[in-house]
Amino acid sequence: MKPVVGITMGDAAGIGPEIIVKALQDETLYEQCHPVVIGDAKILERAKQVVQADVTIHSVHSVKESVFQHGTIDCYDMNLVSKDLPFGQISPQAGDAAYKYVAEGIALAKSDDIQAICTAPLNKEAMHKGGHLYPGHTEILADLTDTKDYSMMLSGPNLKVIHLTTHVGLLQAIENINPERTYTVVRLAHETLLRAGNENPSVAVCGINPHAGENGLFGNGEEEEKLIPGIEKAQQEGIQVEGPYPADTLFFRAGRGDFDIVVACYHDQGHAPVKVLGLEAGVNITVGLKGGIIRTSVDHGTAFDIAGKNIADEQSMQEAIRAALDLAPKK
Amino acid sequence: MDKQTITLTLGDSSGIGPELVVKALNDMDLRDSANWIIVGDEEIFNKGMKIAGKTLTYNRISNIEEFDPQAGNLWFIDLNNMNASDYNIGELSAASGKQSGEALKYAMNIALDNYADAVVYGPLNKDALHKGGFNFHDDLHFFADLLNCKEGFGEVNVMDDLWVTRVTSHIPLREVRENISEERVRKTIEFAHGILTQANIENPKLAVSALNPHAGDNGLLGDEEYDIIKPAIEKVQNKGINVAGPYPSDTILNERKKLDFDCMIAMYHDQAQIGMKLLGFNRGVTISGGLPVILTTPAHGTAFDIAGKNKADEGAMIHAMRKAQDLISKEVTQK
Repeated sequence: MKPVVGITMGDAAGIGPEIIVKALQDETLYEQCHPVVIGDAKILERAKQVVQADVTIHSVHSVKESVFQHGTIDCYDMNLVSKDLPFGQISPQAGDAAYKYVAEGIALAKSDDIQAICTAPLNKEAMHKGGHLYPGHTEILADLTDTKDYSMMLSGPNLKVIHLTTHVGLLQAIENINPERTYTVVRLAHETLLRAGNENPSVAVCGINPHAGENGLFGNGEEEEKLIPGIEKAQQEGIQVEGPYPADTLFFRAGRGDFDIVVACYHDQGHAPVKVLGLEAGVNITVGLKGGIIRTSVDHGTAFDIAGKNIADEQSMQEAIRAALDLAPKK
Repeated sequence: MDKQTITLTLGDSSGIGPELVVKALNDMDLRDSANWIIVGDEEIFNKGMKIAGKTLTYNRISNIEEFDPQAGNLWFIDLNNMNASDYNIGELSAASGKQSGEALKYAMNIALDNYADAVVYGPLNKDALHKGGFNFHDDLHFFADLLNCKEGFGEVNVMDDLWVTRVTSHIPLREVRENISEERVRKTIEFAHGILTQANIENPKLAVSALNPHAGDNGLLGDEEYDIIKPAIEKVQNKGINVAGPYPSDTILNERKKLDFDCMIAMYHDQAQIGMKLLGFNRGVTISGGLPVILTTPAHGTAFDIAGKNKADEGAMIHAMRKAQDLISKEVTQK
């Protein structure tokens, strides 16, 4: 069974609709998944004109009505935005709609109509004006699924990385790491890959200090205090996990295939290797949402300045869809 | 112009060092480009030749006074300081550590006495050196101690034409912040400028990385970028040094083309080392800069798991020998 990937349309005044239409012209995506856009069919029609795509926009009211064929874009049509919405402007209507596409995506994932969510960018200001005071996508997802322990994953061709901490200063990141968090993220890594069809995922954890502390020479025992108890707890539950290892050699080893996923302690430790390994188009992945919901996202914003001009690059969108189908639970 | 004279050590005798030195010197262009004086134990070297399946012809001498550049370009000073029964290839041993430390010290002294222009050393094993009686924090401080140096030195990594150095090195990540000051960032930039200039890179372009994710995200994730790093960059820019930043450290290396730089200046160890190892685990060279003796080595370790099997790639050893030549070429010309 191919996984159904629900693509939320994002802010209708931004580049989301056009990069979705562009991305879905790639036939290979249809060979691997069933994509369905959660948005407004008339806005996709407009995007189709903008990018001059030879496709049919197919409005559906349940995922089951979708045809999932290349050349047709199925749209779970929520009909929330007016057809003449201006490009590139903050609109409460579009902000409200962008929120509702995501909320509907979560509902469809909970009922297993879709197996993963891929989100196009929303505009924070527009969403706030539309009445939904969230800092961003991740917080909506966490709130609507009642999740506290989630984590950010990055996925490249040869490397998957999951983070103990992300958007905090470097010193704060070290403070925030503790055995419980380490255990939780190791378990998330294990379970996510297991559900995605990897029968025996191998996880390895980076050290916090240079050379993973080199037996106390280059550290003050942070590995022993913050990481090792969490790793051991996971091992006792039968999870295949190793470490902490010196981060510089660990990423090299993971890149050549020694491990399926690396647990990074802080933002730059995990992001730098994925980018060095040549992931041009970035994909953010939220894992750990309750119900095992996988959410992937492009790494750029609504780009109001170029919206409606057929300039926006769809590569990040394609990678996000690919990551979604890759990590979607396999049955 | 006289040929450069470079001393070589075999590194830890239980590791891949001896076989790598043999294989590197089997490259005739490289060998003819300088006078090479190997310092070590001859039996270990013979073993290295056996492993590599190559026989090198060299002049054996017992001290540097006997070296005569007219009489050949490959020399061996036999310290005769190892018993074959005291070590096994592929196994960590105090004897190997002691032997490799003594050889390195000897090679450095030759350079200090101006008989040689640089030292290239084979991979060392820190545990073995510790067990062999050499106590030190990291390689760089080991050398600085041996050379009686207190400050102004730093580790530099080079891969192909990409250079990297860092403000802090082998210290706990938690202590990085308190060890970064405007002065230290400025001095590291100037140090980088100096060493790249020494290697004949004219007006080298330097890029400084940030400390916090997203370079602090306008103060949201940290103030160090604005309070410390930026002012340091501006000060050295005023001295005419070509430097820019701070850039987010997760994208600086993969945006190298766009940012156009020769050397990255990292704030901490892993910030630079993760990317460098991914870009070429076995091609990198480590330079201990700012010391009275030019010191280079392959960036990889002793690789006990493949030692003695003639599997190790001599590429980084060759790069280390070439890089030493780059660093001294100017000095020799000036003599």
